[in-house]
Amino acid sequence: MQHLGFSHKKIKIGSFDFTCCEGCQLQFANKESTLPAFLELLDIRNFREISSERHDDYDIALVEGSITREDEVERLKTIRKNAKVLIAYGTCACFGGVNSLKNNFPIEETVREVYGNHAVDTLPVRRISDVVDVDFSIPGCPVSKEEVERIVVSIATGSMIDLPKYPVCVECKQQLNTCLFDLGEICLGPITRAGCNAVCTTGKTACLGCRGPADDINFESFMQLVADHKLSSEDLDEKLGFYNCFEEFRHDKS
Amino acid sequence: MIYKVIAKREFEKFIDALVRENLSYGPKQVDTDKNGEPIYQFVEVTAVSDIAFDYTVTYSSAKHFLLPFRENLSHFTYTDGDWEQEITYDSKPVVLIGLRPCDIGAINILDSVLLNGHFPSPHYLARRKNTFIIGMDHLPPPDCFCKSMNRHTVTSGFNLFCSDIGDSYYLSINSSKAYNYLKEFEVTDPTDEDDCRLIERRKLIKQSFKTDVEVTGLPSFLDIEFDSPIWTKWGDKCLNCGTCAMVCPTCYCYNMEDRPDTDLQGSSRQKQLYSCNLVDFAEVAGGHNFRPKNGDRLKYRYYHHYLGFAENANQQICVGCNRCGRACLAGINPKDVINDLRMEKESCMICVSQSPPKT
Amino acid sequence: MRFTIPSQDINREPFAENVPDFHFRSSVMQTERGYKCRITNIVHLTEQEKLFQLRILDPDERNLFRFRPGQFLMLQVPGYGEVPISISSSTSNNEQVELCIRKAGHVTSALFEAKEGSRVAIRGPFGSSFPMEEMMDKNVILVAGGLGIAPLRAPLFWINDHRDRYRNVHMLYGTKEPSQMLFTYQFEEWEKINHINLHTIVENASPEWNGKTGMITELFSEITIDPENTHAIVCGPPVMFKFVCNYLDKKGIPMNRMFVSLERRMHCGMGKCCRCMVGSTFTCIDGPVFDYWSVMNLKEAI
Repeated sequence: MQHLGFSHKKIKIGSFDFTCCEGCQLQFANKESTLPAFLELLDIRNFREISSERHDDYDIALVEGSITREDEVERLKTIRKNAKVLIAYGTCACFGGVNSLKNNFPIEETVREVYGNHAVDTLPVRRISDVVDVDFSIPGCPVSKEEVERIVVSIATGSMIDLPKYPVCVECKQQLNTCLFDLGEICLGPITRAGCNAVCTTGKTACLGCRGPADDINFESFMQLVADHKLSSEDLDEKLGFYNCFEEFRHDKS
Repeated sequence: MIYKVIAKREFEKFIDALVRENLSYGPKQVDTDKNGEPIYQFVEVTAVSDIAFDYTVTYSSAKHFLLPFRENLSHFTYTDGDWEQEITYDSKPVVLIGLRPCDIGAINILDSVLLNGHFPSPHYLARRKNTFIIGMDHLPPPDCFCKSMNRHTVTSGFNLFCSDIGDSYYLSINSSKAYNYLKEFEVTDPTDEDDCRLIERRKLIKQSFKTDVEVTGLPSFLDIEFDSPIWTKWGDKCLNCGTCAMVCPTCYCYNMEDRPDTDLQGSSRQKQLYSCNLVDFAEVAGGHNFRPKNGDRLKYRYYHHYLGFAENANQQICVGCNRCGRACLAGINPKDVINDLRMEKESCMICVSQSPPKT
Repeated sequence: MRFTIPSQDINREPFAENVPDFHFRSSVMQTERGYKCRITNIVHLTEQEKLFQLRILDPDERNLFRFRPGQFLMLQVPGYGEVPISISSSTSNNEQVELCIRKAGHVTSALFEAKEGSRVAIRGPFGSSFPMEEMMDKNVILVAGGLGIAPLRAPLFWINDHRDRYRNVHMLYGTKEPSQMLFTYQFEEWEKINHINLHTIVENASPEWNGKTGMITELFSEITIDPENTHAIVCGPPVMFKFVCNYLDKKGIPMNRMFVSLERRMHCGMGKCCRCMVGSTFTCIDGPVFDYWSVMNLKEAI
């Protein structure tokens, strides 16, 4: 931003994963056309998937995954201490994600189901913000590289960071997609935050709300329209619960 | 205007020649809905066989060919404390086939807002000049109310308009380009019988409308009913999802933002079609929202559509295609909202509750 | 081959080469192109507000840029965006444009990081203006609340430039805290040289404040109003101008002689994007300056 009389500094960044598939971190390497320019913005200090170097002097910590073990809590608190800005990165970090399905069952039962008689130390799934303060969230399963790039650029240029406030429907209609409700399916597009460019619905797969609720959603009206369309409430419940993104609304209702 | 008649098979040859040579969009079935009804969209076509001439209505309008959902208005390239601003008006010729009178009427409305108003838009002008429009009449779907908006006929804004008179089309030729292309094909001057068939066709269309929305005096109603509880009632249903504005043929409100290039050597100034139903439409710097409630935003959209804005001489910009009503998942549609506003409860088909009492 | 529709390239039309002149509404021009400016001076007013002095680089464009008090411009900060800002300088100052800016959003935050000598661009001027000629040979009351002083400076400077043509001029200025009072360094000049009767008030006094404390309407007790021969210009938050205008209405000043400036977030300034609509009126084309009667009719305004 030479024309404003200041130049950008490289962003000292660390990327950390907790309970997750690490797919969001992999998104870092996506979008090859701008990858060199993107990496040029970053001074990667700590990133297991990219480099074996480990430094603790990062300004920004990207934290992927949810918290399911006691040792993760301690590690997360250290990261929070080191970082100036902590970003919850991906749906697991922001909302708990698919992992949260575990919370629907007794802990012992889940351990037995997965590990048999092998003893495993595990806790109910928590979001990053349940454990430490989060400065900003980048939701998505996985995160959209395009959005990550835009946000990193915003940080580099000292701009404010924001996510679209409107729901997926806007982007879905812009893709000229057929509304999945017209095909007889429940789609969470009308209540889910946009920014994914309606990638799932463009592929004719219903939105499961991985980006969480959009600003000021009309949850009540949404529930009503699913009923009006005579669609299955079990299917709706399953979709709403899939990523654990709509818990506050579901509980408000009951 | 010059009138000709062309046999349908000859017309198909003409369209085929046109779409093979030019980037063309026409109606095509893209899906079948849960009730077994076809869903159409305007999509790219490369042969006449791609086009569903007998389509009912497309889910989305043809607006985005003239007003892309997202476009770069200019690009800045930074140079040592300064910048170069590059502005180009992208304009490749495009053929739009099968637009209905209301769709063409909608483009005429966009013209009046974006070309005849204050500060004509060069970006729109470039696209408009390079758009070749072939309109076709049709029997209206049951929920269309373009006749109420007086948009069921159209006399300008197209290059060629085709009325179906049985085994041939009655052509209204409105541009020398269209006239010249048609020279290569077998067209005849309309006979008295053709004229007769055209009049019959028009009568049939006029009589086929099943939905009527009473819009006389509506601007005054809207002005009076600013604080009406019906806005809260319908607002409570609204999902703020912006679908109505995206499929609408005339919604043109937008958002501007700068997107820096990833290498930070430049930035693009982008325009994005927006919707007044979206939560932050009337938000100002610092976070204050002038329309914080669903009902406020919904009302505003009806104001724009049925009261009109000073910029386009207060003309109503709704053409009565009911795309918004069809697409709205919450069942909000102009007919019911307007009837509710007029307190004609008996004709409101969707709301089971009575109009709320006036306070 | 004859069926290939020829492309019409409007990039080559004359307007695409010319400098846009925003005074000529309804002619095609490169509406995205602004006049490039250098930030010649940045005056630190408070923690939240700075005064930016801009000089249009191109002499022809500088000559083109003439405005009326009350008009606004679109300030372009490449890489960050564009924001509407009311022009805060004198219409007779053809060398510099002054913008009093509060750090409120995305673009203004970037601007607050900018150094002197930086470059930005401006498009405009846009919108309606205060009818200064109509007020000549009359008394004028200027009422500013908070940052409302920014758009009020242009009509004030106009009056100063034509001081002999106006009768009694009162300026009422109120802020929340004394520290938020802007342009205090000019008060003495306005009072002593321009014979403006300046009245100030704050809502919450600090220990060093020895002026009045209270709401801005309390300042009316200090002045007598001749409703037959008085015009009012009111700038500030909606609640404030509502109270002020209602007071003046009771005093007998007709609503069409009170003028307010509305604030909305324009994205284009040209009556297109519809973001600044109040009811069915464009703030950018029909406003930002409205008489109070029109504001009452706008419904959404207050």
